[in-house]
Amino acid sequence: MALLYFGRSKIRSGLSKLAAETTFGSGITDFDPTVWFAVNADHTITMRSPKVEMGQGVFTGFAMLAAEELDVAVDTIKVMHASTSAGPQSTAGTGMSNSTASLYVNIREVAATLRETIKLAASTLWKVPVTALQTADGFVYAGTYKASYADIAKQTKTWQVAQTPPLRPASSFRIIGKEQKRVDLDDKILGKADYGIDTDIPGMAYGAVLYSPYFGGELKTADTSLAEKAPGVLKIVPDKRWIGVVATTRFAAEKALTQIRADWSFEPDYATKDAIEAITVGKGDAVVMQDDGNAVDELTGDILTSEYRTPIGFHASMEPGIVVADVSGDNVNIVTSTQNVTFMRQTIADQTDLNEDDIQITPAFLGGGFGRRGYKHNAVEAIKLSRAAGKPVHLLYTRQQEFQNGYVRPNTHHILSGRLDKTGKIAAIQHEFATGSMAFLALPMAKPILGADFMVAGHGARIPYSIPHIKTTIWNGELPFETGLWRGVGMFANTFATESFMDELAGKAGADPLTFRTEHCGDTGLLRRRKSLLLNLGKKAGWYTPKADTIGRGIAVSEDRNTISAVIVEVQLVDQKIKILRVIQAIDAGTIINPNGVRQQVEGATMMAISAALYEEAAIENSQFVQTNFHNYQVVTLRDTPLIEVIIQESTEAPSGVGESPLSPVAPAIANAVYNLTGVRLRSLPLQSALDTHYRKDKRDL
Amino acid sequence: MKIALTINAVAYTFDADPDMPLLWLIRDEAKLKGTKFGCGMALCGACSVHVDGDLIRSCSYPVQLAQGKTITTIEGLSTGPTHLHPIQQAWREVQVPQCGYCQSGFMMAAAHLLEVNKHPTEDDIKNSITNICRCGTHPRILKAILLAAKYKKDEPTQ
Repeated sequence: MALLYFGRSKIRSGLSKLAAETTFGSGITDFDPTVWFAVNADHTITMRSPKVEMGQGVFTGFAMLAAEELDVAVDTIKVMHASTSAGPQSTAGTGMSNSTASLYVNIREVAATLRETIKLAASTLWKVPVTALQTADGFVYAGTYKASYADIAKQTKTWQVAQTPPLRPASSFRIIGKEQKRVDLDDKILGKADYGIDTDIPGMAYGAVLYSPYFGGELKTADTSLAEKAPGVLKIVPDKRWIGVVATTRFAAEKALTQIRADWSFEPDYATKDAIEAITVGKGDAVVMQDDGNAVDELTGDILTSEYRTPIGFHASMEPGIVVADVSGDNVNIVTSTQNVTFMRQTIADQTDLNEDDIQITPAFLGGGFGRRGYKHNAVEAIKLSRAAGKPVHLLYTRQQEFQNGYVRPNTHHILSGRLDKTGKIAAIQHEFATGSMAFLALPMAKPILGADFMVAGHGARIPYSIPHIKTTIWNGELPFETGLWRGVGMFANTFATESFMDELAGKAGADPLTFRTEHCGDTGLLRRRKSLLLNLGKKAGWYTPKADTIGRGIAVSEDRNTISAVIVEVQLVDQKIKILRVIQAIDAGTIINPNGVRQQVEGATMMAISAALYEEAAIENSQFVQTNFHNYQVVTLRDTPLIEVIIQESTEAPSGVGESPLSPVAPAIANAVYNLTGVRLRSLPLQSALDTHYRKDKRDL
Repeated sequence: MKIALTINAVAYTFDADPDMPLLWLIRDEAKLKGTKFGCGMALCGACSVHVDGDLIRSCSYPVQLAQGKTITTIEGLSTGPTHLHPIQQAWREVQVPQCGYCQSGFMMAAAHLLEVNKHPTEDDIKNSITNICRCGTHPRILKAILLAAKYKKDEPTQ
């Protein structure tokens, strides 16, 4: 245990500070323009994206960055996914809202290098010095010489890659910062965009797999005799933890699966209350993430203490997990919707006899990601089915499997304590919280070293305000099911707790919630940006203007690796149901590449956050998730749509992510608005069921 | 059993299990991949198509019921990028899709709504379309349907 003891110290809280502030890299090291781009005879330019398009608009942003330096129109660039055999590779997957931010310089550099490389080729062809050449609209010019990039490419057998030139200054941007339509827009409107599920290989068969619906269930016995005789069935493939069927159609495969009688061994009787008990402050390993001043000693006297809880949540991406595997000999070709090609390739190599070099993976468009496609996948099953059937196999999770056999956002528990000084400012604050991990699913070896997942599940737990005494501690709870990444990672739960508590402290101080927050911001760095964003939001959203008595108004703010999101929500109660009328989101994400792309992400994060804040909750009975489909896992529909306004802060700072930051402050802003309207403080998610519980109690008390 | 039906003005005959959902026939036999699978229980609407002009969730509609019927999928909603359906025009103008996976179903539901209610209010739309989108394109869907209703009004009657 020496290692554990050693790890439990300043080193971990130092690491935690580092993790909170670090912007992660792209995981890409190859910036050879001939790897990224191909100049085509039809005057288009193919760009191979090492980051996947899951709706976040990364193809559009990348095309804009490339077009800026290539001197072509954005629609000249045809972006496609890089595969493991063509295009640049990313070892970091796609996530953390960092694709555009981490490649903002690199993509422009690689595009500028391609431009100079084309000029170099033209200079050789025309025997004109490079300095005399100019580029515009996909053409190279020199005096009377003029040729398209495609023509130069046609005449060039071997490229001599040019030196990377200095990048154009922001003051000369033609494309970056301007409104740009999505490059995938028309395909998605015509139903022509290809997702993983749309993969269709000649001779392909369809797989279906029976998994244990119970946590940790092992296959004891199975009777497959009926399934073997079912029409269309080509192969039954039993494995240690699952049974697969390959058939000529999906329907035949799924029908045969229902005829298998399987008996699972598992630890019974695990229920929601057990998960709540397991995730409780004080249980498991603890790591101090932040320890400024002397919070514990300062928290005496008139202390305010509140407890918060958030439930287990599903990603519920519209496209379930999908892998099409085509095994031939010692090679496999895979087409899939994944956020993490590298991880998929490594796990296949670990769990089969295939070598990494023999595993070819081509990503397709993703029907949503939200963190679900970072890790656990069904590629190994698809490979085993393809090998057994001697055919390409299309393997899709059912919705029930997507819910019961994927991984989930862990439940959390938070205890916050604070004391105000004589002037009504926060003198000391402590945030203790317990959570299942989000990172250890992929990195189990990190658990004994780190003790608790302060990097990912702990993201957003630190108190970012200027307060003399602050302590933040994470407790690592053990859960019998798999927990992992979810949009915004730990920020969703942590921001709910900390920004609800800020409101409670503001109430105790008798202060306006917005002013109370800005008074704890100071005037440097991110806190200065937080303050000015809050003030701008307050002004534009009419925070200080009078409102009807039937409307509640709440505010919250969060910060995600240099991006700040502040939100004001207005709510109403209709028959004791929370109705969100208006959401005003302000975001400071540094330099903006595509304002339309940012607005889409902010609107989308707002809707997903409303869904998780008001309704979403996975329950457990008899060691399995109760929810099996959308009839018992409620998510938002059009009916829940409020008026959403997006304020984009002008900035010349480096770009930072926009996909996750705006999600986090929505839940506490709703809770704060409900309190503003009713005086009822909801301290657990989902808020609607917390409010229902409150009214039920009220009724009993009458 | 033999199933004869018309999809997007093309006549097809398939030999299929009569209980097979229409969705799989459209996707895996007719090879029209724009119609999506989301839940398999007619809950999310990603598989929405028109069957003889009715809005149907094809994941839960056995092919035997489609015998002799006329199906329209997203691929048949318009004849191409230059002749978009008003719904698609509005979808493009408002830039609705993000991941795009649920959008075919939403567009089919919206196109049907405008057939039965030419001038829906925002509340009409909210009460009639219950499809699920996880990216959160809801505000733009509402905007696009209201805009499409306007486009449709401006269309010359045929």
